[in-house]
Amino acid sequence: MKSERRSFWPVVVTALSAALFVLLFLYLEHEWEIALLAVGLVAVLFCSARFGLLARVETAASDHPRTTILVNVVSALLVIVFLREEHFALLMLATVFLYITICLGLTLQFGYAGIVNFAGIAFFGIGSYTAAVLAVHSPLPHLLVILVSGLVAGLIGSLLILPMLRTRGHYAALVTIAFGILFRTFLEVNDLLGGPQGLKVPGMQLFGWSLNDNISLGPLGMISFYASYAVISLLLAAGAYTLIKRLERSWLGLNLDAVRTDETAAASFGIDLPRWKIFAFTAGNCLAGVAGGVYAMMSGFIAPASFNFGDSLLLVSIVLLGGSGNPLGVLPAALLVVVLPEKLQIIQEYRLLLFAVLVILILRFRPEGLLPRRIREYYAGWGRS
Amino acid sequence: MTSPVLTVDGLTVRFGGLTALDRLQFELSAGDFVGLIGPNGSGKTTFFNALTGIYTPASGNVVLSGEDITGLPPQKIYDVGITRTFQRLRLAPTLSVFDNLMIGNHRNLDHGIVANLFRRKRLKLEIEDNVEKSRLLLEQFSAPLASRLFDPVSQLTMIDRRRVEVCRALISEPGILLLDEPSAGMTHEETRELMDDLLASRERMPGLAIVLIEHEMGVIERVTDRCVVLNYGEKIAEGSYQEVARDSDVRAAYLGDD
Amino acid sequence: MDPGFIAQYLLNGIVLGVIYAMVAVGFTLFFGVLDVIKFSHGDVVMAGAFTALATYAGLEYLGVGDGAIAAIVITVMGIAAMAALGAVLAKLLILPLRDAPPLNTLLITLMFGLALRESVRLFYPNGSNPKPFPQLLPDAAMTIGNLELRLDSVLLIVLGLGAIVAVHLMIQRSRIGLAIRAVAQDPETARLMGINFERVVLMTFALGSALAALAGITNGLYYSEVNFGMGLLLGVIGFSAAVVGGLGSLYGAIIGGFLFAALQTIGAVWFSVPAYKDVFAFACIIVLMAWKPTGLLADKSAERV
Repeated sequence: MKSERRSFWPVVVTALSAALFVLLFLYLEHEWEIALLAVGLVAVLFCSARFGLLARVETAASDHPRTTILVNVVSALLVIVFLREEHFALLMLATVFLYITICLGLTLQFGYAGIVNFAGIAFFGIGSYTAAVLAVHSPLPHLLVILVSGLVAGLIGSLLILPMLRTRGHYAALVTIAFGILFRTFLEVNDLLGGPQGLKVPGMQLFGWSLNDNISLGPLGMISFYASYAVISLLLAAGAYTLIKRLERSWLGLNLDAVRTDETAAASFGIDLPRWKIFAFTAGNCLAGVAGGVYAMMSGFIAPASFNFGDSLLLVSIVLLGGSGNPLGVLPAALLVVVLPEKLQIIQEYRLLLFAVLVILILRFRPEGLLPRRIREYYAGWGRS
Repeated sequence: MTSPVLTVDGLTVRFGGLTALDRLQFELSAGDFVGLIGPNGSGKTTFFNALTGIYTPASGNVVLSGEDITGLPPQKIYDVGITRTFQRLRLAPTLSVFDNLMIGNHRNLDHGIVANLFRRKRLKLEIEDNVEKSRLLLEQFSAPLASRLFDPVSQLTMIDRRRVEVCRALISEPGILLLDEPSAGMTHEETRELMDDLLASRERMPGLAIVLIEHEMGVIERVTDRCVVLNYGEKIAEGSYQEVARDSDVRAAYLGDD
Repeated sequence: MDPGFIAQYLLNGIVLGVIYAMVAVGFTLFFGVLDVIKFSHGDVVMAGAFTALATYAGLEYLGVGDGAIAAIVITVMGIAAMAALGAVLAKLLILPLRDAPPLNTLLITLMFGLALRESVRLFYPNGSNPKPFPQLLPDAAMTIGNLELRLDSVLLIVLGLGAIVAVHLMIQRSRIGLAIRAVAQDPETARLMGINFERVVLMTFALGSALAALAGITNGLYYSEVNFGMGLLLGVIGFSAAVVGGLGSLYGAIIGGFLFAALQTIGAVWFSVPAYKDVFAFACIIVLMAWKPTGLLADKSAERV
């Protein structure tokens, strides 16, 4: 079957513009500049969604999946190169990539399978604490530690989901809310895990090289050690994005959509509901756990105070603002939710309130979010032959 | 008459104190086209639900080609080749026509994680085959609809949605097809067209047995081999349409006692 | 074990049970009428308590002072304010989302609860710290052996149970209660029978929120303290109590409320670390839900296939 692929250039233009935007967003200092930029981003996204420009970009990206990822990774690397001496900016960038990873996991759980998860930061925290314990008390190489952090988070999640399988939507919400609230309490009373003071985490060591060292370039300056973590987080987010996208563009994604839209019909056509719910929930939590492992090593120190229920709600807000079901929406939403309060100190204190109100408005007036979900395109050139 | 494919023996469904289906006795052979009629609330959809595992029968059993399938979950019923449509249309409106059909084709698709995430070229071939298969099936019902394979179901008219639901039930090439008021909301002309297309499809699927719940007697008379009449959960008559229409119990059920 | 000791825990458990039951009844009312899980309910409890607190501050400023009158005034204010809030919430956020997927309503109310919580923390003077709640109930207590029977505990139990009974009677006996039950069972037919659907919904939300305010004030009077985060856990507890009892069933909510209080009390006695009592209680509830997904009493679940 002959397929007509769209030109690739919209993707390149968009990737480079996005890189430029992110660079400005992280580099600029004046609050009015930042605010203007943020408003500009939302306006651009909204208008391009309205006037079909976004559709063209997404179709072009859909037609060239591998090159799209490559171009975006390269653009992000360019940003990292530009920011190589800025510790804080790189730390923020790395955090954004890690949050993108968790939220892609949430997209899988909620946007695709319809399972709402209000304990996202708890699974992130499980990953962090697992990494902290393993890095100190086991001889496992750090790459493996990160992987195991993901597996542990996935395992605990699959235990949590068992009561949810026989029950309906809001019961799942209840269980994850309870878990999300009690996670921090559980950590604080557990002296084995450091109690309220938390745990120190050694920096990542990969193949003999310690990521916690700045890299000196002699007369050319230096590269902040956060750059290494930014690169790792970037690769993690890119990997998560590829997997999620491929999943959506396959029979697996179809099964999840069927489970979400109508369980009775799905069952009547042979779909094993528990199997797919467990799959989505566990896979999503694994992503959160891996991100948590990287976060622990990057931060050097983790404490229960970092894993609040409010943070889980922020994660849910990112998914809803971006448009649940469209992983692309997670990117700008994560950037805004993570970076805006850091850059605009006025709103730092008010950030939970601000994003809660935003989500209320979105749910009331534009429930599909910033970037609405598109019809499934199984492969490049889909629907045009 | 060929040996029965499906045997329903004494099937009873209760909801608390209410007996919705009372010791139903029913046989279906390959190639049969049976009408299931009766006043509202007489247990027709309840029978479908009990058969497909959505309700658990209180007693009785259902045997398919020698295998006992009583009380099996809906997934297993689908696997042995029984599919259905729903009285209240149950499509996924945000998904495309193709997506909806492929949900119906579940048992013919490869759901392995590695196959779907990493063997993309092979997956593409499988998808292309299924696109072709879907087109051919839809064309039997409506050529314009077939050209809208990639449109979301929410953009379709009611009759096209009904067609999609029927095709979803047919695409896996089932042995038994259960249709629950497929013509609800359609004009006489549209119903006639749907039934003609259905009969034509049946030519291509020898052995397919169909049970049709329908309120329009003209349709029943025209397309079915025989009818089963239910009233208050009990079977009160069985036979050809003509025989059943003359039956005094049936008349009393529909028109009330004199 | 010392009977006075047990009795103390028992009494405490009963007060908690009454509070939880009041919150759970609200959840069950909302679900019954509109199939809606209003996750901001716990925070409405908190807001009710804070409204009462603010009213008290106002009364103090005016020099009206203590005693029964103050108690009644702040209670009335809290209840009225929350009833209004509940109705406004229903009108602006809940009714418009009637046709959207149910998860959207859950999400929007959850976010509203968050907004309410944060608003109190940020805008109420010194809101991020726990605030003392006025001691408006008589101080008297009877001592029987090891048991200190506080008069205010008894008063609160009587008040709480009275409120629940009043709500129950209202739902079962009054005209508006009949309208609520009609809408809960079959909104379409209720409309056809001339019942003003929107008005019934608003009334139900007002009623549930009023009860929540009462729960919050009871909580404040009992512990002599309120804080901006008290609603979160209370809301989750109330919700799980309603779920375990069977969403939509009034009796279920009451049973669920007392059950949770009982589990918490057992947990408190059993575990030396106080935080574990909540984990224990929730773990038991989750097991219960896995065993009986539709609740201990019937759950209002009707899905036409």
